[in-house]
Amino acid sequence: MIVTYNWLQDFVDIRLSPEQLADKLTLAGLEVVSCKHIGGDVVFEIEITSNRPDWLSVYGVAREVAAITGEKLKLGDRCSVLGTRAKHPAPSTKNLITIQDKKDCPYYSYRIIRNLQIKPSAADIARRLELANLRSVNCVVDLTNYLLFETGQPMHAFDLDKLSLEQGIIVRRATQKEKLVTIDGIERQLNPDILVIADNLKPLAIAGVMGGKDTEVTSATKNILLETAVFDSILVRRMRQKLALQSEAAYRFERGVDLAATPRVSLECASLIAKCSNGKLAEFKESGSKKIADRYVTLETDLVNRALGIQITAKECKSILTALGFTVKNKSASLQVKIPSFRQDVKKEVDLIEEVARIYGFDRILSSLPKISPQQASVLDLTAYLKEILFALGLNETITYSLIDKASLTKLKINLTPVEIRNPLSKEQEILRPTILTGLLNCVAHNLNQKQNQISLFEIAKIFHADDRANPVEQPVLGIALCGERTLLLDQGVVKDVFGLLHMKGILETVFSRLGIKGFAITPLTVSKDEFIIQAGAQELGRVFLPADAQLDAFEIKNKKVFLAQLDLTKLFSLAQMEKKFLPAAKYPQITRDMSFIVKDDLAVSRILEAISALGQPLENVKIVDYYRGKQIPKGFRALTISCIYRSNQRTLTEEDVSSIQEKAVRLLVDSFGVKMR
Amino acid sequence: MDINLISAQIKEELDKIVSCDQLEALRLKYLGRKGVIAELTGSIPAVNPQERGAFGKAVNALKQQLFVSLEEKQRSLGVSKAPAPESAETDLGMPGIAQELGHKHPITGIIDQVCGIFSQMGFKVLEGPEIETEHNNFTGLNIPLEHPSRDAFDTFYLKDYEKLLLRSHTSPMQVRAMAKSKPPLAIVVPGRVYRPDAVDASHLFMFHQIEGLMVDQGVKFSDLKGVLEVFVKAVFGKDVAMRFRPHFFPFTEPSVEVDISCIICKGKGCSVCGRKGWLEILGAGLVHPNVFQQAGYDAKKFSGFAFGMGVERIAMLKYGINDIRLFFENDLRFLKQF
Ligand SMILES: [Zn+2]
Repeated sequence: MIVTYNWLQDFVDIRLSPEQLADKLTLAGLEVVSCKHIGGDVVFEIEITSNRPDWLSVYGVAREVAAITGEKLKLGDRCSVLGTRAKHPAPSTKNLITIQDKKDCPYYSYRIIRNLQIKPSAADIARRLELANLRSVNCVVDLTNYLLFETGQPMHAFDLDKLSLEQGIIVRRATQKEKLVTIDGIERQLNPDILVIADNLKPLAIAGVMGGKDTEVTSATKNILLETAVFDSILVRRMRQKLALQSEAAYRFERGVDLAATPRVSLECASLIAKCSNGKLAEFKESGSKKIADRYVTLETDLVNRALGIQITAKECKSILTALGFTVKNKSASLQVKIPSFRQDVKKEVDLIEEVARIYGFDRILSSLPKISPQQASVLDLTAYLKEILFALGLNETITYSLIDKASLTKLKINLTPVEIRNPLSKEQEILRPTILTGLLNCVAHNLNQKQNQISLFEIAKIFHADDRANPVEQPVLGIALCGERTLLLDQGVVKDVFGLLHMKGILETVFSRLGIKGFAITPLTVSKDEFIIQAGAQELGRVFLPADAQLDAFEIKNKKVFLAQLDLTKLFSLAQMEKKFLPAAKYPQITRDMSFIVKDDLAVSRILEAISALGQPLENVKIVDYYRGKQIPKGFRALTISCIYRSNQRTLTEEDVSSIQEKAVRLLVDSFGVKMR
Repeated sequence: MDINLISAQIKEELDKIVSCDQLEALRLKYLGRKGVIAELTGSIPAVNPQERGAFGKAVNALKQQLFVSLEEKQRSLGVSKAPAPESAETDLGMPGIAQELGHKHPITGIIDQVCGIFSQMGFKVLEGPEIETEHNNFTGLNIPLEHPSRDAFDTFYLKDYEKLLLRSHTSPMQVRAMAKSKPPLAIVVPGRVYRPDAVDASHLFMFHQIEGLMVDQGVKFSDLKGVLEVFVKAVFGKDVAMRFRPHFFPFTEPSVEVDISCIICKGKGCSVCGRKGWLEILGAGLVHPNVFQQAGYDAKKFSGFAFGMGVERIAMLKYGINDIRLFFENDLRFLKQF
């Protein structure tokens, strides 16, 4: 909404600088977003909230200025709504307006002005329209626009001689086949959802939105029909959306215009047009009701004070509301407030409390702190805990879009039923992602492109799928991506640690262990070993993926291996066992014996470890402590060192206790697995 | 000099030591610049060539042994802060060796900080679904389905599910929380929200919000001011001023937009604050009676306040980030700054 300083002065004396006024308006809820000095006037651009159509007019803003500054709202002597003393013949009895449905159009009126000469507007009117970003056309069109801005009432002037009014004006829904070229020159296909103003031959205008090109006022116009009406706000909203057509008129009808003011404004406009174009006011017709039932709301001063935390008297409340145009009667602290017709937004006591608070000033309300009742404590936040584990493992947190394009699923050969979006703006928003992997792959690709070579990422977010036709499923998951290598500059020199499947295993293992989940296992799902199942005991919690080169290529990742994982967090957290129990340190010392040997590459170490573990007491633990493949080791073999830890819980073990079982272990290795001891 | 003799002497002296000062004195005596070891080292060239090698080794062994003994003694004295032996081998100009930690995304950082502040004030942190019903997203919050007040909430709808949508704000959790429990209620809800907005440096189709709601008997507007003041000062600093501007939200009344004095220009006016000296950071208000009514709360008995803020906006202001898309690009050079 645009108003100017001088225009406001038509209705209220302002004793503040434009900048001071802008501040005051902003703090009263009319946010002034810009304030520009242009040729002797100051243009305010104000953001008006959708609940206040009465502020979509200079007059409405002036009313607010008067209330804030304690000035009287004055009647403008030139163009103001209330200043008019014009007379117009009484409505003729023969009603020439047909309204098909009063719900669409509660009130319609027109005034005819004859024998006019179309002239340019007076300079000051043209100037103000220009400041409001409206092009001056001629005095007729300009005055309808001028009064639209000044009063908030949209009006439209038709060239009377281009109408076929044998059956008068008809306000009706359009038919499927009708078309109308609007003033902007665009041909609009109409349909029964569109309300039109029509004569007996054709649609003339889209009601409340825009007039037709054929019947607009031109320099040749001699007689005009000036329409003033009120249209259903929801209907105007729907039409505007369907036609993708915004206009100053539609903007106001959608928010609601003051029905009670329409006859006054209409008369004012007609007489001003007649005056400036030497025309003569002729017929006036109206149909529908312009009566609005009086409404009253009671306001208890005590409630104002309790709701806001202030001390205000009934008298102060009354004077604030009166300044805003309410009529207030009060017996003691209880106020009977009559709601003016231009305040359709005020329905409840709380609406009045807000009005009092606004003018009283939010800055005068002092801060206090509420008593907060303790809330039931949340259980340990496992997500936050999980994130801490992952940070400590060197993984960086990412946040990627939940909306993705369908094609990225094909790229990854993922065959899931996604939840689709009905109204995406682009194909990147087609579906809710059924997997977290595509987002992570995009991050990997981006960072490779930025020459990063150590990429270790995770995201904790929801994925969605449409497996359940009744309700889409939201599922929180953890996604991990590893690509590249980490470079460790150690005392002994540089170590390049290339990310591989074992790094992924290590991360997952640590997560499971820190969450107290037993039975971690990772097993290949496919012969090609590009997908693995992550399990806790028999339960599957997620998968590890090694996308093929072609799949990576589709994400612009070239000549790199990427390791991905996705874990179901609902399942993971349901297994978490965060209760701890202290175990005392072993009472007797351990004896450790290492065995180094060379073994065939294709022999799984887990089999060796299992076999040795089976030897049992006093063997406490068996683990791999060294591993080597390369120089000095024949091709197809690897060197392993296994550590056996012996301990008894009854006594200190001796060398003899250990050596016999250790010999058994060696024999087992040689006989069953064909290893070569080193 | 007989190294074995010195070694025995050190052992004897060490045994007598009972304080750190004594230990330090011993360290200086042997390892100092003009200490015994330095003297021994200095005498190496004077030793006859046949014995020189063995002597050098023995001196070195004595020195290493001394380091170990000093450290052991230090430990037995119960002081961890050992006077670091000036080892010639460690060049402190070399990079330190440590486990590299991962970084928390700045959005998570802000969410944790903000929720932490409210948690300390007694609010409980909750999360909610991202797929919502029309009722929870709109009508339950006093937003009519066909009204200009809905224009602020352009919404993604699901294709095959009637009346389901992606929440366009975190406020639906107000409806859910009130449906689930009776007052008193004090919650904060962080989460993702979605709006079909054209993408540019300050708009995206997905972003994060944090919602707050408090309902009890006697909650008033001044309480909202007090609670938000605590929040603003904790996040933006003690010197930041806060102001309330009247606004309109269908689910609160009175409604406010909350500004803070521009943290860049300190209120003087700059390009970030549009020369206004103020930055809008959140919307808030007293819970509208219609929302209580829909939730089955007695609006005569209970009152409350609600607030909602954009996480990206706060992160951008706090860290000086000028493009919202950076948050979702996940460039490691960006992530590692937080
Ligand atoms: Zn600034």
